[in-house]
Amino acid sequence: MNIQEYISSGIIESYVLGLADEAERAEYERMAAIHPEIREAQNAFELSLEAAALQNTIVPPVHIKSKLLSAIDMDEQQPGTPVQPGYKEPVRPHAKVVKRDFTRLIAAAAVILLLMSTALNFYFFSRYREYNEKYVALIQQQTELATHNQILQTRLLEYERAVEMMKDPNMYVVKMPAAPNSPDSTSATTVYWDTRTKDVYLAVNRLPEPAAGQQYQLWAIVDGKPVDAGVFEMREGAGMSKMKNIPKAEAFAVTLEKKGGSAVPSLDKLYVMGRI
Amino acid sequence: MGTSTTYTENELVSLLKSRDSRAFGYLYDNYSASLYAVIAQLVDDMEIANDVLQEVFINIWRKIESYDPVKGRLFTWMLNIARNASIDTLRSKSFQNTQKNQPLQEKNEWIERGKTTSVDIDSIGLKKVVNRLKKEYRVLIDLAYFRGYTHEEIAEIENIPLGTVKTRIRSALIQLRDYLK
Repeated sequence: MNIQEYISSGIIESYVLGLADEAERAEYERMAAIHPEIREAQNAFELSLEAAALQNTIVPPVHIKSKLLSAIDMDEQQPGTPVQPGYKEPVRPHAKVVKRDFTRLIAAAAVILLLMSTALNFYFFSRYREYNEKYVALIQQQTELATHNQILQTRLLEYERAVEMMKDPNMYVVKMPAAPNSPDSTSATTVYWDTRTKDVYLAVNRLPEPAAGQQYQLWAIVDGKPVDAGVFEMREGAGMSKMKNIPKAEAFAVTLEKKGGSAVPSLDKLYVMGRI
Repeated sequence: MGTSTTYTENELVSLLKSRDSRAFGYLYDNYSASLYAVIAQLVDDMEIANDVLQEVFINIWRKIESYDPVKGRLFTWMLNIARNASIDTLRSKSFQNTQKNQPLQEKNEWIERGKTTSVDIDSIGLKKVVNRLKKEYRVLIDLAYFRGYTHEEIAEIENIPLGTVKTRIRSALIQLRDYLK
């Protein structure tokens, strides 16, 4: 093929303007690689085309440049997007897409945070209720324990007093077993009689629980006559009841009387008796 | 970037290949108006031309690595990107729908813009040169270059043999070359 003919066939213009088909382009590149004059002619046409284009311009809207610069900035921050050699995929609203994606990301993050917060609220509220219930229960238990503690302290004080009395060398102990005709033959009480102060303390060893409206009464036998030494309540533990002061007596006895006590003892209800 | 800075084409290309955004700004300043005029002639719609221009420059930025200076000048490469992007847009469904729905309005926008900027799109650049061609050549260049039809498609549309299409386009191109000199 004559090179000059080839050069002036219009193939150069066709190639440059992108009108040559695949086979024509391949042939042209083969030819151009061998014959530098083809490239020279091509360059001349390209320069005239470029000169014409640079003389005929329309200035695009100003905002496009800044948009593009921020778009390529964002492009650079996302490396790894493969550059496609072909020219098919439209990438036009790149900046817009990124912006929208960012907004979406923010919205999605907000929704996730809201859901997490709501879940945490439920969690903490149920925990709060649980702990509040536990707290109330603890307060109740604490009150119970305090009450119980008070009871124990009172009882301990009574034991201490009883032990002190039993250890006291001035204390005269009168054992009072069941009387011969006692309604309960297992009954027994003890009187502790302070020989200095003449105070009388009574400890119940065993007595049947009195019926409602009835109460046990202690008597001191003075010169063969019964003298009221006071009524007493049945008590739990080793507690002693302080009775009336008795300056002098030969014996002590306990009868069951009406509540509050009687002036004269009911001898048929004589439970225990002890001589000094 | 100062207006005083100028780059040779080789410098510009190697800076762009090393992802220099200042070089990209320089490229835009020097070529956007020419490419915008080409795009405007091709798509005939202001809004769409704006979008296509952005797409073209993003593609230049992304594909600069594939540009081979042995095969042609940088401007030729960019011109082909602009032409291909414009034709792709013209052929896209959404563009065709818009054109069907509002043909008058779209046209009017361009007429308005032509008036305000004192530019008649048909009287600049390649189109001005093409308009000097005789009608049978002009029609073929319009279909091939401005609308992107293949030679085979043009043979069918115009109902002339493929060989005739090829010969006439070659002749038209040789004339265009002479007009551009």
